[in-house]
Formats: sequence, C-alpha cells, structure tokens
Amino acid sequence: MTGDKPLGIVLIEMCILVILGPLVTGIIQKIKARLQNRQGAGILQPYFDLIKLLGKGTVQADTASGFFRSIPVLVLATTVAAGALVPVVQSGPPAFPLGDALMLLGLLALARFLTAVGALDAGGAFGGMGASREMTIAPLVEPVLMMVVFSTALAVGSTELGILAEQRGTSWILAWRAADFLGLAAMLVLLPAETGRIPVDNPDTHLELTMLHEGMLLEHSGPGLGCMLLASHTRQIVTLGLAAALFFPIGPVGAGVTGLLLGLCTFALKILVLAVYLALIESSYAKLRLFQVPQYLGIGFVLALMSLALRIL
Amino acid sequence: MSVCFFLGALSSLLAWWSVRLSLITGHLAALAGAMAGLSVSLGILLGNSANKLSLPLPSFFPFARQSLVVDGLSAYFLLVISIVAIAATVYGPAYLQAHSPEAGPARRATQVLALNVFLACMVLLCCAGDALTFILCWEGMTLSSYALVVSDDQDGENARAGLLYMIMTHAGTAMLLVSFLALTERAGAFDFASIRMAANGLDGTTRSVLFFLALVGFATKAGVVPLHVWLPRAHPAAPSHVSALMSGVMLKVAIYGILRFGFDLLAPVAEPLPPAWGWTVLILGTSSAVLGVLYALQQHDLKRLLAFHSVENIGIILIGVGLAMILWRREDAGGSLATLALTAALLHTVNHAAFKGLLFLGAGSVLCRTHVRNMEELGGLARHMPWTAGLFLLGAVAISALPPLNGFVSEWLTFQAILGGASRFHGPSGLAIVFSAAMLALTGGLAAACFVKAFGVTFLGRPRTSHAEHAIEAPLSMLLGMGWLAALCVFLGVAPGFAMTLLDAPTIGLLHSLGASAIVTAHGPLVLSTALATPGGISGTTISMTMLAILIAALLPLAWMLRRGLRTAPQRVAPTWTCGMVPTARFDYTATAFAKPLRRIFAAIYRPRREVIRETAGTPYVIRRMQYTGDVVDLAETQIYHRIHYGITAISQAIRDHSTGRIHVYIGFVLGALFLSLLLFGGGQR
Repeated sequence: MTGDKPLGIVLIEMCILVILGPLVTGIIQKIKARLQNRQGAGILQPYFDLIKLLGKGTVQADTASGFFRSIPVLVLATTVAAGALVPVVQSGPPAFPLGDALMLLGLLALARFLTAVGALDAGGAFGGMGASREMTIAPLVEPVLMMVVFSTALAVGSTELGILAEQRGTSWILAWRAADFLGLAAMLVLLPAETGRIPVDNPDTHLELTMLHEGMLLEHSGPGLGCMLLASHTRQIVTLGLAAALFFPIGPVGAGVTGLLLGLCTFALKILVLAVYLALIESSYAKLRLFQVPQYLGIGFVLALMSLALRIL
Repeated sequence: MSVCFFLGALSSLLAWWSVRLSLITGHLAALAGAMAGLSVSLGILLGNSANKLSLPLPSFFPFARQSLVVDGLSAYFLLVISIVAIAATVYGPAYLQAHSPEAGPARRATQVLALNVFLACMVLLCCAGDALTFILCWEGMTLSSYALVVSDDQDGENARAGLLYMIMTHAGTAMLLVSFLALTERAGAFDFASIRMAANGLDGTTRSVLFFLALVGFATKAGVVPLHVWLPRAHPAAPSHVSALMSGVMLKVAIYGILRFGFDLLAPVAEPLPPAWGWTVLILGTSSAVLGVLYALQQHDLKRLLAFHSVENIGIILIGVGLAMILWRREDAGGSLATLALTAALLHTVNHAAFKGLLFLGAGSVLCRTHVRNMEELGGLARHMPWTAGLFLLGAVAISALPPLNGFVSEWLTFQAILGGASRFHGPSGLAIVFSAAMLALTGGLAAACFVKAFGVTFLGRPRTSHAEHAIEAPLSMLLGMGWLAALCVFLGVAPGFAMTLLDAPTIGLLHSLGASAIVTAHGPLVLSTALATPGGISGTTISMTMLAILIAALLPLAWMLRRGLRTAPQRVAPTWTCGMVPTARFDYTATAFAKPLRRIFAAIYRPRREVIRETAGTPYVIRRMQYTGDVVDLAETQIYHRIHYGITAISQAIRDHSTGRIHVYIGFVLGALFLSLLLFGGGQR
C-alpha cells in the first residue's frame, strides 16, 4: 500500500527522532532526580555529554580487531535507519515504501547484534558478560513484542506502522476493545526491557552485577562511545515511537506546515507521557535478578497472547 | 551436465597417477556440471512457465521406462544445488590439500569420486521423472555422502557418525519405498504421470497413510526433530565443502520430495489437501525450528553448531510449507496466501543454501588453518584471517534473519503469510498459527544470540591456544568460493524482487494459481508487498529492501564522520582493563559462559548436568585445582532413542535367555513364521 507521504518528510522525521533522542533521556533523568529529592542535571545534559565525547581522543583495546572501530558506525547507522520507519508528524504510509514494524524490530536487533559482537572483541570479561546477558534477554523480548505488533496488525491487516497509526487515529479509546487494552499492557511491560531500564537493566551503572547494555559499551571511548550513546538514545525514542504508533492516535493530520507542526507537538506529547511512565517505573521498582527477568517478561507474554487470542477467537 | 559429473568421477582414477591433478580435474568437472545445471535451470525458470524439459533415459531395467523431467519445481531445486555446488567445487581442492595434505591416492580418489556421484545423484533426483530413478538417486546420494562422511576418519568417531547416518536414513528410505511401491503397484508403471493418475483414485485414508510414510522418509533425511539425531553427528564429520553441500543442499532435496509428494503426486484433483498434512508439517517445522536453535546454542563445536542450525532452518522452511498446505484451495477465489507461504518457503530454501554454505565454508577455513573445531580453543582469528572473519560475519547476520540481508526477507514473507493465515482462520487454529509466529520470532532471536557467540568466541578476543595464534588467511580459491555465496546473500537481501521471477514457475506449477512475482512484487521489483483480505477490505504491507539498503548506505558516511570526532584527538592503544591483573586469554568470555544464562532459563529442555570436582588444600577455602564438566542432553535422544535402545536390548536379552542353541528349533520358528504370514497375507492373491 503506497501512500502519499513524501520521502522528504520521512527523512525529516528521522532527523527529528535523532535530535530529540537525547532530550528524552535528559527528561527521564531529571524526573528521576526530582523523585529522589535531588536537583539533578539539566535536561540538556545528554547533549553536552555527546559533544564532550565527540571531541575526545580514543583508547582502543590492543586485542580488538579491525571490526571494533567500525562497530559504532554500523550500530548508529542501523539504529537511525530504524528511526526512518517510525511515523512522527504524519501518519499514513510513505509514498515510497521503506519498511514495516517487523523491519524496525529487525534493524534494532541488528544494532544489538553488532553491539554484542563489538563487546566480545576487546576480550574482557565485562564485555562478554554484558553481551551474554543482552543476548539472553533479547530473544525473550522479541517474540512478545512481535505478538503485540501482530495483535494490532491483525485488526488492520498490515504490519506497516504508518497504516497502523492512521487506523489508531480514527478510533481512539472509546472504540478500544479488550484486545487493545491487553496489548497496551503488554507493551508497557516490555518497554523497560526494550529501552534497557529498571527493572530489567540499569542504565546508570557499570556495576557488574546489574548491567546489561552498559557492559557492552565499556571498551568504547571518545567519539566511538559518543556514537554508541547516540544510538542508545535513538533506540529509546524509536521504541517509544513504536509504542506510540501502535497505541496512541497521531493527532490532527493537517496539510501544510501548521499540520506538520501540530503533528510534531502531539508526537512530543505522546513521547513525554511514555517517558514519564518510564521514569516513574524506574524510580519505584528495584532491578530484578537476571533469572527473574524471564518471569517478568512472562507477564508480557501472557498479556500479548491473550490480546491475540481475543483478536482471533 | 551428467557427462561432466561422469568425467569428474572418471578423473578420480587419475589419482593413482597424480593426486593433485585428479583433485583439480575432478572438482573442475563438477564445477562444469554445476554451471550446466545453473544454465539449464535458469533457462527453464526464466522461460515460459509451462516450459518442461523431458528426456527419456536409456532403459537399464526391462520393467521400467526411465526418464528425466525438469519442470518448474525441479528446475528451482536444480538451481539451488548448482549455486552451492559452484562454491563447493571452487573451494574444495585447496581445502582438501590444506586440511589433510598427507592423504594418499586411495582416499583422494574416494573423495573425488564420491563428490561427483553425490552431486550427480542430487541433480538427477530433482529431475527424475519416474519413481525408479528417484529411488536409485536417493540411494546413491545417501551412499556417496556416507563415503564422504567416513572418508576423513581419524579416531573412529566419524565411522560411528556414518553408521548412525546409514541406519537412520535407510529406515527413512524404507518408509519412502513402501509409499512409492504402493503407488507404482497401483499405477502399474514407474513414471510420475501414471502415479499421478493412479493417485486420483485413492481414498482419503490411503492417501494420507502414503503421504505420512513418505513424510517420515523425507523428514529423516531433512533432519526434522525428532528424526534429526544423525544430522549433527554426520554433517560435521564430512570435509567442510561437503558439509556445506549436505547442509545447504541435501536437506533441500528432502524438502523437494515433500513438495513433490504433497502438492503434486498425492494431491487430490481439485480439493484442498487433508488438514492433517499441513498441520503436521507446521507443527514439525515449528518444533524443529525452536529445538534446533536451542541445541545449537549449547554446542561448542563450530561445525556441529552449524549442523543444528540446519535443523532450525529446515523447520522454518517447513513452517512455510505447512502453511501453504493448510491454506491451499481453502481461501476465497483470488487468494494469495498459499502462494505467499510457498514463496517464503522456497525463498528460504535458496537463502539457507547460500548462508549455510557460506558459514560451513568459513568454518572449514578455520578448521583447515587451525585443525580445531572446538570454539573454546579458538579466538582472535579475525586479525589473522580478516577476510574469512568478514565473510563469516556476513553469513552470521544473514542466518540470524537480520535486515538488510537475505534471511530477513524470507522470514518476513513467512511472518506475513502467518499473519494472513491467522486472519483467515478464526478460533484455535488461528491462534496456533500465530503461536508458530511467536516461536519463529524466538528462533530468530536465539539464532542471533548463537551467532554472536559463534563469531565472537571464534574470531574475536585473544587466541586461546597456539593453534589459533598461528593461523593464516585461507587461500584465494577458498575465499572465492565463500565470496560467491556472500554476494548471493547480499543480492537476495538487497534486491530480492529480482529473484521472484525465478519463483514463478515452481509456485504456478505446484499451486496452479498466481505466481510469486504477481503477488510479492506487484509494485515493481524493488518493492516487496503482500495483499491480505481482511474484514475491512484489502490491505497489505509493502517494504523495500533496496530503499532500506540505500538509506543505511547513505547513513554510514554520516555516522563515520561522527565516529571520526569533532576534532583531531590522540588515539591510543592500551591493554583491556581487567581489574588490575595482566590480561590473558582466560579473561575472555567462553562459549559455555556465554550460553549459560539461556541454559538456565531453558533448563526444562536442556536438562543440564554439571559436575564440579574441587581439590582443596586442607581447608575448603583454599582450592588447588578445580575441574568442571557440564553438558546438556538432546531431549529426543534421551526420551525416544535411548528408550528404544533399552527396549531392543531388553528384548534381545530375553530372546537370548530363551534360545537353546538347537538348530532345528530355529528352523521350526522360521517355518512357523512363514506359515503364519502365508495364512495372513496370502488370502488376497486367490
């Protein structure tokens, strides 16, 4: 199904996601700090961190192979490419087809795959531990996420995010059925796992007992680390964007510049809601033990399965 | 084409004169044969879809007319065989030389002869126009691959693997033979056309029984769980380019058999297939996919890991086949789902051939340079063998079903077919189909985890032994063989639309409805699309792998600029930080450790066993030496095969206890059995 969304808007949306990505992290950090009765850093702090890192020199492990240097480049490019698949300011499929929700999940998985490969390259135990844990959790998250996508897609008959978002735009919460609520619940269970936050992962620590994703970044430094961090920020906002496209309406779809600006505002609002949700969850729960994470994800699995069952039966 | 293979087989005789010459001419002849196969299949696939090539064979047997018939399906599988055969024959000579330079002329001659016979049998099998040729080639394929499996025997391990392989596949062949003989007996002739006619008159039960007999036969060869136990033993034992052929192609021949039987020979004329067929295949496929990848995760032998992944991928193909069987002729007019599912299965067939061939060849390069198959003794190879490592990584990304490579495309099509199937079937069957989608997603994720492990532990980090430390890059011809398959992986991933026309002939030929390209590439070759009929009208999904690849390619330089940094800053190389100790290879994460969390999570399936022996010095707090052994069991092996084994042993023990050793009692038994069977089965002949 080809639509009428020009390629230019798709690229602009991609840039918006990349630019707003660190801001979401900054907001979550700020809310967390306030909830812990701290002043906290400004919400722009992730940008300063990135700029600082991009200006620094690098220290590379002597055991790392030639792949290691290109890992941040590949990870960043694939994550940003995933950003092009998320509808931001305008719903509906793009004029020239690019990819659907499955492709988006695939690209994020590719970025994760490459990150894990890079983590094993330096030959330290921390990288291996991080990679092993990340690749343990990821295969458990992916099928559930896929089922949530399917649950929404079955009603529409397409896995294309633009179409899904458009459909959601015409039927807001009053028209929701039980399957939609269960799907949203499953998505909310999965969001912390997919964005690497408590109770599944802890983004604030490099402590070996708790880290998943951070352990894989230990050997990167300078601009390489900057690229990896930017990729993490982008990955987070892309995941939130996926949830928004699946469950929240896109808002008024107007023509021209005002319509696009309105779309942007609604998108920012949706992402903000999800960001607050993540911050609240992160402040009110402790991190789970690694081997309790499957049970936690099991809740998501059951919810998604029930959502699908209601959709099909 | 067969002439080339025949010449290749003959050239094995040259081995007594010059080993090297025989090796090269033998493989060159096979290469020429593969090229011929490629051109024949492309000629048929790109031509008119009703195009058929038939060729009567000289009759060797007075009771049967033999012939070769190449239709769309045959030509497609011929194409798959030829693609991998080209890579394997380019790769082979240098590999055999490097891996076992000490081999004498007899062993070389056997290898060259068996390779040519193996290829010829697979090619002729797919082109067979009658049951006799089919069975003869099937047997030839098994025997020649057995010869290749045991050709490289050092410690008796391979001989045992070969024996298991022989027993399992012959048990399967027996089932297949029964099915074939029942059909030919009804048809009164061996050729497929008469069999098809005869199958029209079958009643439903007989039809299903014959199909399931054949399915067991083919599933044994394809390594479907729980009939897979021979596969992870036999495939790694063969020389690596033969492993690539066995995994990449020989299993596909069994898929060809299932398709030929299910959709062609035994299919009712204008009715849907019995529902039990498709559901059985779907369930077998799903369980093979999940269990295959789970067992692969716990393997530390690189080639054995790849062999288990073949079980997984055969499962993915069978999910598509099963869906196509369920959906065929069950949708409304103009329905495209069965075609979509079959397209996904066929595309995954060629995709798996390409990336599994590539990975086995890559593992072969590692093996012939280090002579070690255990990943725990490798490591750090990426610096010594950069090209092999790069190609292996490409194959790893492809097999993990990650975009923008080919594995993703066929899994995407499978997912779309599943989605369509689920919206078509309401109720429990729809839920079962969606459940297989979730399992497929789990499979993809676990495959990615497995290949992070396989690639990371083998090629990255520090070398763990001196074998790995002194490895050198593989010779050019081996890299060329891998490069050809890698190029295919990229092409089929970035521009899969162009390959869809090749799928037209087999899909139209089998399903008698729309072709693959009419459905999947309805919007031009650069766009993949599906159209699903839902209650709310027709909708569908479109993606473009080409556009995505262009997008990523455009983003790469931008990301590289960021990676370079905003200003020129010093770059240092320093040892990895290991908490203040001197870093050694023992700090590297091992394959066992990497897979440990998943081993615990899926403990119900693995039933892991671990044993730790501590040698302490006086107090329990000072440990002198520690030994850890652990392994996981194959559920099918312990739950099914060991029980059968115990049963047989118990029965034979019981018989032995009661045997007297007197010969006339035994003769009495034989006569009694003869009398009984005449009484039971002789009645029908009167």
